[in-house]
Amino acid sequence: MRKTITVILLIISVLVPFMAFDVLPVIGDPQSAPNTHVSDYYIENAIEECNSPNMVTAVIVDYRAFDTMFETTVMFLAGLSVVIILANKPKRRIPAHSSLRRMKDAGGRPIYKTVNKDVMISVIEPVILIYAIYVLFHGEVSLGGGFQAGALIGMTYLLDIMVVKRDRPIFDIPKARAAAIAGFGPLIYALTGIVTILGGGLYLEYNKIPLPIHHAELHSIGITAVEIGVTIGVAGTIITILNALMERISFDDDND
Amino acid sequence: MMTMINTFLATKGIYFLTLVLLALGVAGIIVCNNYMKKLICMNVMQVAVIFFFLCLGQKSPGTIPVAMDTAVKASQYINPLPHGLMLTAIVVSLGTTGVGLSLLLRIREKYGTIEEDDLIRREDLMTRKNKDGGDRK
Repeated sequence: MRKTITVILLIISVLVPFMAFDVLPVIGDPQSAPNTHVSDYYIENAIEECNSPNMVTAVIVDYRAFDTMFETTVMFLAGLSVVIILANKPKRRIPAHSSLRRMKDAGGRPIYKTVNKDVMISVIEPVILIYAIYVLFHGEVSLGGGFQAGALIGMTYLLDIMVVKRDRPIFDIPKARAAAIAGFGPLIYALTGIVTILGGGLYLEYNKIPLPIHHAELHSIGITAVEIGVTIGVAGTIITILNALMERISFDDDND
Repeated sequence: MMTMINTFLATKGIYFLTLVLLALGVAGIIVCNNYMKKLICMNVMQVAVIFFFLCLGQKSPGTIPVAMDTAVKASQYINPLPHGLMLTAIVVSLGTTGVGLSLLLRIREKYGTIEEDDLIRREDLMTRKNKDGGDRK
């Protein structure tokens, strides 16, 4: 009954907006409302005002820096709330799904359908990390930015957890410590703003950083500092969530 | 009639697809019995909204919003604003998914299930047991 009513209501709600499609702009129209007013200003002035050829970076960390600061704070708070929700010691770990437990090797020990450890750690992870650093520091010139770099670093830690046994980890970052690391991201971001205030400007007004160089370089320095903060925040939050969830689940090759 | 449909699909068709994706997400959240599937459907909804915003940023002869020497006019680049907004939205959706997963883990540890029907039945049992225990005291 619930399903029939739902389906009927959804079909109605998909069909009704056909009348509203006239309001929406035509795809790819350069003269449509979302493509004209403020976006033209961003495109035409991003290089002179922010010294950032990548306009997306100019928008998110220069024109709309407050927005990004609080998005990073939201990420940190999400990691913190995961730590708080999962703060208690579980009575027993939830076992992994049975389809993962069936495979055994010749000695009768369980094996999982995982990737090769040697290839993963010695070949793929360094490449991912180099790419993350490139994306972080080159984010204002070409495609990239702090969020992507943070996600890449978090994914490297995920690969480590996937391929290495849990009682012998390469990096061991407990969830509370990872949340503390994530907190440094918004801190670096906020301190950048305070430095610009000390230089006599407004909060996050990068060309007032008190250094004796050209104002375009100052913008580059400000953007890079902010991106480093974003990277640390995102990577720390991903590691926090991953560790908090993984320590609740038991696999066959655990010793405890 | 055929040309009407063709023009509609060429100019506004992608909005219809995002709408279908959004409706799929809502339907999943209402119909599915498993909380894990509800969480997945919430993510599908978020992806639909992200697609919608990215559609608004398209320009026909535009290239990626990274400044080049050969292109100087604003109409030669696609709109960077939806991309910037959705970049942060994607990352925040990761955070909400993490919080949802941790809540699911707590539910699974307390009740032993994340199926909605079983959960309501066990909640009833637990409240009845608690009431009986309270009477005996």
